[in-house]
Amino acid sequence: MAAQAHAIDYDPERNYDEDTLAQQREIEKEIAESQPLISSLFTFDDIVEEYTREDEVYRHKIENLKTRYANLRKTRGDGNCFFRAFGFGYLETLLSNPTDYQRFLEICEKSKDELIALGFPQFTLEDFYDTFIDIVKQVKNPGQLEKLLETFNDQGLSDYFVVYLRLLVSGFLQKNEDDYIPFIDGERTVKQFCSQEVEPMGKESDHIHAVALTKALRVPICVEYMDREGQTCNSFMFDPTESPEESSPKPALTLLYRPGHYDILYPL
Amino acid sequence: MAQSPSGSAVKALQLELKKIQAEPVEGFRVKLANDDNIFEWEVAIFGPPGTLYEGGYFKAHMKFPPDYPYSPPTVRFISKMWHPNVYENGEVCISILHPPVDDPQSGELPSERWNPTQTVRTILLSVISLLNEPNTFSPANVDASVMFRKWKESKEKEKEYENIIRKQVQATKEDAAKDQVRVPTTLQEYCVSSIPALDNQVDADFYDDDYVDDLDADEQEMYHEEDEEDSGNEES
Repeated sequence: MAAQAHAIDYDPERNYDEDTLAQQREIEKEIAESQPLISSLFTFDDIVEEYTREDEVYRHKIENLKTRYANLRKTRGDGNCFFRAFGFGYLETLLSNPTDYQRFLEICEKSKDELIALGFPQFTLEDFYDTFIDIVKQVKNPGQLEKLLETFNDQGLSDYFVVYLRLLVSGFLQKNEDDYIPFIDGERTVKQFCSQEVEPMGKESDHIHAVALTKALRVPICVEYMDREGQTCNSFMFDPTESPEESSPKPALTLLYRPGHYDILYPL
Repeated sequence: MAQSPSGSAVKALQLELKKIQAEPVEGFRVKLANDDNIFEWEVAIFGPPGTLYEGGYFKAHMKFPPDYPYSPPTVRFISKMWHPNVYENGEVCISILHPPVDDPQSGELPSERWNPTQTVRTILLSVISLLNEPNTFSPANVDASVMFRKWKESKEKEKEYENIIRKQVQATKEDAAKDQVRVPTTLQEYCVSSIPALDNQVDADFYDDDYVDDLDADEQEMYHEEDEEDSGNEES
């Protein structure tokens, strides 16, 4: 509101950053009040209403998704949706997969020292790690779905989890700097890219974030891209394995991408 | 955004305060500006020995946002500070303190940015190293920047910059005396307090999760209100 009033009498001496930030916080608050961080299950009939009757491309694609997927969960559009969708979606699958849980836990437990070795401050890193690993360990016991959903909707815990995933991506990219520098736009180093596009909360994820996260944690995921082109969604596998022989064609979880946003899909 | 992000902030700040007070770090001291408000700290920075700032005792206020540690605090010198990267009102302009949303330093030197793992300690260490190595590419105080470059380029023969700093250092001695602080002036003294920090044995109770529980809802609400009142007066 304040920003609009001042826009009429623009004062070059004034710094408008605070107004802009205040307005942005207002918008974030509205989103936070209307969308849970991770929703309960929706059917496709629920989301088809988001599109008008005339929007044939999207309506058609939703019909197509219905032939392969049963439900979806929506995530809050706060710039962290990829990380949160991945985090909740994968831990949910681990509830019924003790073998993968053990493997995943070992990778997570090793990651802390690797990140400290890369120069992240130990004291705060451990604080994020402790919360992260506590949440991972919640899935040790089957039947904890409600608890997990509650955890991921607790902003404090959920955001700490997201921070740690962001640090894992940053660490992975920095460790494999030579492989990823060609994919970084602008004249930036990998470290600069990480501090500008990966580590800050609310920065949206791109292809490179998804590649790094799936490789860092060795979790194959599939993303269904729902855009205006073609008749069906384009699905893309993020396969963390290096050689074709060991490649696992079956994704651990599937995300739905609609421009600028990720949700979680559940196969039939 | 109601209570819980602020809850994270309270928890993170209490953890940091406890850690710094238990293991004092080289070059600075911290305390709360007011015991009831964890979001405002008073810090004192010791001028590093072997620099123009040797013997100086510089006071500053740190103010933390309700979404700390996702956004950085501000640091504002209360002591007079003539420096290329300090605004006239004392506010410190350094890359590590820039919120990720704006990008005032784009196209600038590669430098450390804010991320949630940064701490009061990493910020203050950056500020201390900034004292003696100003960044003249994006000065907050242009006059100070020009003066600093003259001093540097004349191989320290143009004394104007140096004289101002020395005068300001001298002026801080009164504060140090008032606070009954003896400012370390040798490297050995300056670093001696960092020895406990090298010890990785951290008290088990740092990881207690119940800090937030110590505060009742009213107190948390109070932090909110204060922060709203204070916002918007940063730069003019």
